[in-house]
Amino acid sequence: MEGGSTLSTSLGRITITGDAVAQIVGHTAAQCYGVVGMAARGGRVGRLLARDRLKQGISVGRSPEGLTIELHVVVEYGLNLAEVAATIRSQVAYEVERLTGLTVSAVEVHIEDVRRGS
Amino acid sequence: MTEEADLDRVRELTASALANLEQNRRRIDDLNVYPVPDGDTGTNLTLTVRAIVESLESAAAADRPTIARAVARAALMGARGNSGVIFSQIVRGAADVLGEAPSIDAAALAAALRGASDAAYRAVRQPVEGTMLTVIRELAEEAEERAAAQPSVPDLLLDVVKRGEDAVRRTPEQLAVLREAGVVDAGGAGLVEILRGIAAGVAGEPLPEAQPAEGIGFDAIHQELSRYRYCTVILVEGEELDADALEAQLERLGDSLLVVGDPSALKVHVHTDDPGAAIAAATAVGVLESVEIANMHKQTVEREERLLEAVPDAEPNASDVVAVVAGEGNRRIFESLGAARIVEGGQTMNPSAADLVSAVEAARAPEVIVLPNNENVVLAAGQAAGLASKPVELIRADTIQSGLAAMVVFDGSRSAAENAAEMRAALDSVATGEVTIASRDVELDGLAIRKGNYFGLVDDNPVAEGESFDEVAGAVVERLLAEPRDVLTLLTGEGAPALDALLRRLEEDHPGVEVDVQEGGQPHYPLLLSAE
Repeated sequence: MEGGSTLSTSLGRITITGDAVAQIVGHTAAQCYGVVGMAARGGRVGRLLARDRLKQGISVGRSPEGLTIELHVVVEYGLNLAEVAATIRSQVAYEVERLTGLTVSAVEVHIEDVRRGS
Repeated sequence: MTEEADLDRVRELTASALANLEQNRRRIDDLNVYPVPDGDTGTNLTLTVRAIVESLESAAAADRPTIARAVARAALMGARGNSGVIFSQIVRGAADVLGEAPSIDAAALAAALRGASDAAYRAVRQPVEGTMLTVIRELAEEAEERAAAQPSVPDLLLDVVKRGEDAVRRTPEQLAVLREAGVVDAGGAGLVEILRGIAAGVAGEPLPEAQPAEGIGFDAIHQELSRYRYCTVILVEGEELDADALEAQLERLGDSLLVVGDPSALKVHVHTDDPGAAIAAATAVGVLESVEIANMHKQTVEREERLLEAVPDAEPNASDVVAVVAGEGNRRIFESLGAARIVEGGQTMNPSAADLVSAVEAARAPEVIVLPNNENVVLAAGQAAGLASKPVELIRADTIQSGLAAMVVFDGSRSAAENAAEMRAALDSVATGEVTIASRDVELDGLAIRKGNYFGLVDDNPVAEGESFDEVAGAVVERLLAEPRDVLTLLTGEGAPALDALLRRLEEDHPGVEVDVQEGGQPHYPLLLSAE
C-alpha cells in the first residue's frame, strides 16, 4: 500500500501508510485474547513483506470502501475459534478506526494454526 | 460424596452463578468499553454460563474428573464474545484442578484459581492488565494467601469475592480506556458476579441484591469513534415523554444515540452533524432544560496526537544485522526484514574488511551479526569481525538465498548470540540454486559448459547447461523440488529473461508448491532460487 491513506482535517492533511496501519494491527492482534502468535503466511512472501515480527502475517490493502486488512494468526488450543476470530475482527477494526480515523471495510482473519500450550 | 451428589452440587452452584450474573447483566453491558465498546460483555458472559448450566442439565452422574471435563467442554463450546472465551479458559484451568483434587477444601480452591489464572494468561501473547485477566490473577493470589490458614470454603470464597471487587475497582488505574470512560472493566466485574453467585450457593445463602448501575453512561459512549462532528446532549422536560419515539426520530441524525430518563425528563445524547435538528426534535416534545454541544474536532486532534505518540523514536536494537547484498531489489528485501546496514557487494565486487568494519561500527546496536551472502566475502567478513570494536557474530551464509533464510528469523530484540544460533539453523533449512551465464568454456563435474550459455547449479553442483534459459532453469527447479518442498523463492536478476514459461510449468507439475517471485536485481545471476 504505497502512498498511504489520507485524512483531511482543518489543520491539514494526515497521511497514514499501510505500514503504520499494519503496526497498529500487529499491536492490537497481539493483545487479542487467544492470539499466541502471528503466522508467516505465504511462505517467504508473507515474511518478506514484513518489516519486523510485529507485522508478520498482516497485510493491509485499500478498497474504495476503506482499508482491507488480512491477518494470519496462531491461536491457543482449546479455545472457541469462531469466537476468537470474531473478536479479533472487531477489535482490529475498532482500534484501527479509533487510532487512524480511517474506515475499515474488511478484516479477514485466518487461523493458520493452533498451539498446544504447556 | 456420591457421584449423584457431586453432579447436583455442581448444578446448584452453576445455577447460582448464572442467576447472579443475570441480575447484573445490564449493568455489566453498560460498563463495556474495552476491547471494543459494544456493550455486550454481560450478555456474552451470561450466554456462556447458561451454556454450562444447560449442558449439566442433560449430563449423567459421573465421577468428578468427568464432570469437570464436561463443564470445561461446555464452556468452550458455549463461549460467546471475548469475555466468554476468556471465561471458558478460566473454567478449563479451574476444572482441571478441581476434577483431580481429592477433596474440595481451601487448598484445592486456591490451586483451582491459580490454574484458572495460568490458563487464562497462557492464551494471549500480550496480556492486557486492568481486565478480566488481572482480576482472575488477583483472585488466585488472595486465595493462596488465605489458604495457608485453612479457612472453610465459604469463608475463603467471601474473602476472594471481596478481593475481586477491589481488583475490579482498581482496573481504571491500569487501563487508560477505562479511566477515560470512567468505568471499571466489564469482564472483571462479570467474573466477580459469577464468583459471588457461587459463593452464595456454597454458603447456602440467598443471592445478594444486584449492584446498582451508577456513574456510567455518557462518558462511556464517548469512547466510541464517531463520524459526526458535534456531540449534542439535551435535557428535555415535559409530560408523558416517549423515549422510544424521540429515539426513532434522532436515529436518522447521527450515531452514539442514547435517550434515557422517565416520562417527565429525558436526557438525549447524540453525535450528529446537525445539532439544530436534534434540538428541534426535542423542542417538539417538551421544554429544553439544558443543551450542550461539543465540537468533537478537539477529540479528533487528541486522537491524532495519540497516533503520533504510538510511533516513538525506535530504541536501538539489542543486535543489528550488516548484510552484504548485490542488487537493488535484494537490498530492499534485506532492509524490509530489518537489516540495519547494507554493504553493496557480491560475486565480483567484494567489499573490503574495512568497508564491513565501518558498517558494523555505524550500526546502532551494541552487537552485530554479519551476513556475507557470498563465499567470496566470507573471509573479509571474518576479518571484520575480529577488527570491530563490538561483538560480532559471523553467519556463514554463502548465497543471497541462504542469507535471506537466516534474515527471516532475525529478531532485533534478541542478542547477537541468540540470533546467530537461530540464523545458523535456518541456513540448513534451505536448498539453493542459481542460473548464471558461463564466462568461458569449462568442464565441471563432467558437464561441458560453453561460454555464453546458461548453466544451473544446485547447492554449488552444476546440474544443467544450455542455450535455453527455460530448460536450464527448469532443470534447476526439478532438482530443488526432488525432495518435497513447500515454498520456492525466485529472485530475478539484472536483465533476467521472462519467467512465464517456467512459472506455467511449475504450476502444472508442482501445484502444491507455493512460488514466490521477487525482483532481486543482482548482476551475473539471471535467477537465484531457494526451496524450503
